[in-house]
Amino acid sequence: MNVPSGISLDQAPPIWVPLRFFITAPLFALTAALLLLWAGPELFSSRWDPAMLGITHLLTLGFMGLVMLGAILQMLPVVAGTPVRRPALVAAIVHVLATSGIILLGSGLILTAPLALQIALPTLGTALLLFATLVVVTLRRSLPQNMTARAMRLAALMLAATVLLGLTLLSNHAFGWWLQARERLADLHLTWGLLGWVGLLIAGVAYQVVPMFQLTPAYPARLTRWLAPVLFILLLALAPARHLPVLWSTLKILLAAGFAVFALTTLWLQTKRRRKQPDVFMYFWRCSMLSLLSAITLWLAAQIAPAIGGMRGYGMLLGVLMIVGFAMSIMNGMLYKIVPFLVWFHLQSRRGATGPAVPNVREIMPESRTRRQMWLHFAALAALLAAIVFPSPFVYPSALLFGASNLWLWLNIVAASRTYSRVDALLGKASTSAG
Amino acid sequence: MTERIVDARWLEPPEPMELTLAALNVLESGERLRLLIHRMPHMLFPLLKDWGYDYTTHACDDGSYEILIWYKEQVIPVGGPESS
Repeated sequence: MNVPSGISLDQAPPIWVPLRFFITAPLFALTAALLLLWAGPELFSSRWDPAMLGITHLLTLGFMGLVMLGAILQMLPVVAGTPVRRPALVAAIVHVLATSGIILLGSGLILTAPLALQIALPTLGTALLLFATLVVVTLRRSLPQNMTARAMRLAALMLAATVLLGLTLLSNHAFGWWLQARERLADLHLTWGLLGWVGLLIAGVAYQVVPMFQLTPAYPARLTRWLAPVLFILLLALAPARHLPVLWSTLKILLAAGFAVFALTTLWLQTKRRRKQPDVFMYFWRCSMLSLLSAITLWLAAQIAPAIGGMRGYGMLLGVLMIVGFAMSIMNGMLYKIVPFLVWFHLQSRRGATGPAVPNVREIMPESRTRRQMWLHFAALAALLAAIVFPSPFVYPSALLFGASNLWLWLNIVAASRTYSRVDALLGKASTSAG
Repeated sequence: MTERIVDARWLEPPEPMELTLAALNVLESGERLRLLIHRMPHMLFPLLKDWGYDYTTHACDDGSYEILIWYKEQVIPVGGPESS
């Protein structure tokens, strides 16, 4: 593993640095579910509908974005080999700005309120560009052989590019100026966001966490060395290639092939795992990789048979597979590893060598609770896909399932955080009475 | 010198760390702990340092690691894994 060992305990960020992001994130997905419930089948009429854009951003920025920001702030000192200066302050600034920006963006789009969008513009822009800069600058000190650091850095560059495009589109919505290339920029914005920022980050993190938690062999060295940089270049090349149809199609096919290689390698590694009992984490990863492969297959089918691409709901199916199936599944699974570990680790370091025992990770996040939530998430994914094809019977059940799944996820994270606060207070009392 | 062994090879994180810390809790004075593990436990080392333990690491031929841990006030053990 390419993680340097020079990090001391006092360099690790305080537990509330990542937790404040993780506790907020599911609330945005829950809000999206409630809005779906409120809007009903009409919502699926167009992916460009402002309300649909608002709900999509509650998931991409509100859920996925916040989980990724929190996880990166936690991982950055370990991956970079040096601590981030004043992590609690950085986390507070980014969290407050990002959260208010997402609320403003979501409500501005859903309620067609230009003023909210005008305020969202500097708020979100500052939070996300500040964060992307922090990641790129901090990781310049990482070891050159650290492939996770490399992928994370490229993902942060993609975040910056996605945000700049997003801000341009947002200013168009906020001020109503004429933007001829709006649809083209929006396409690039979502491709860079989902494949660049999210895809590259997931690949980079997978190099570490799949072998570590699923006890699989390591990813092939050639893949970890080349995949992220090649995908990054292909994604960048999409921008100037828009007017060259052959190059445009070739780049997209190569991108699809690159992500398919990643998904198939991950599934193949999972078959080689040493721990044979499948757990919640593995199921979430498997669902995510299968969703990614389904999205690639559907996209390829539309390239071969354009009639498929022209079908109602095609873009929305791709969106649900990529956002709820690929990205949210992995993040949901990752939260069930990161949150209990952080609670346990911080309590361990608080208790010292001789303090009272602290609960273990299985007590902090019992599998009985996470497993049921996982099935709810899978059911919600299936129902959402069905709702795109058959809106009237499936929209309301899918919204209810999706809402229930995210409410349950939130409750599980809150329960683990409360365990931390409770045991932390007990440890404080024990050390006072011992002193 | 008596020795306790924790075989944490191919256990899912953070089980190796949980077992090691549990074993350190019951380590008697003069005892040392030998941890067998399939990857370098980077997260464990700062805790050991903070709690007053010293350790040596040794990479085995099969790709696993042996970590020898003892309380700092003890003398560095003889015949343990090479220091790295």
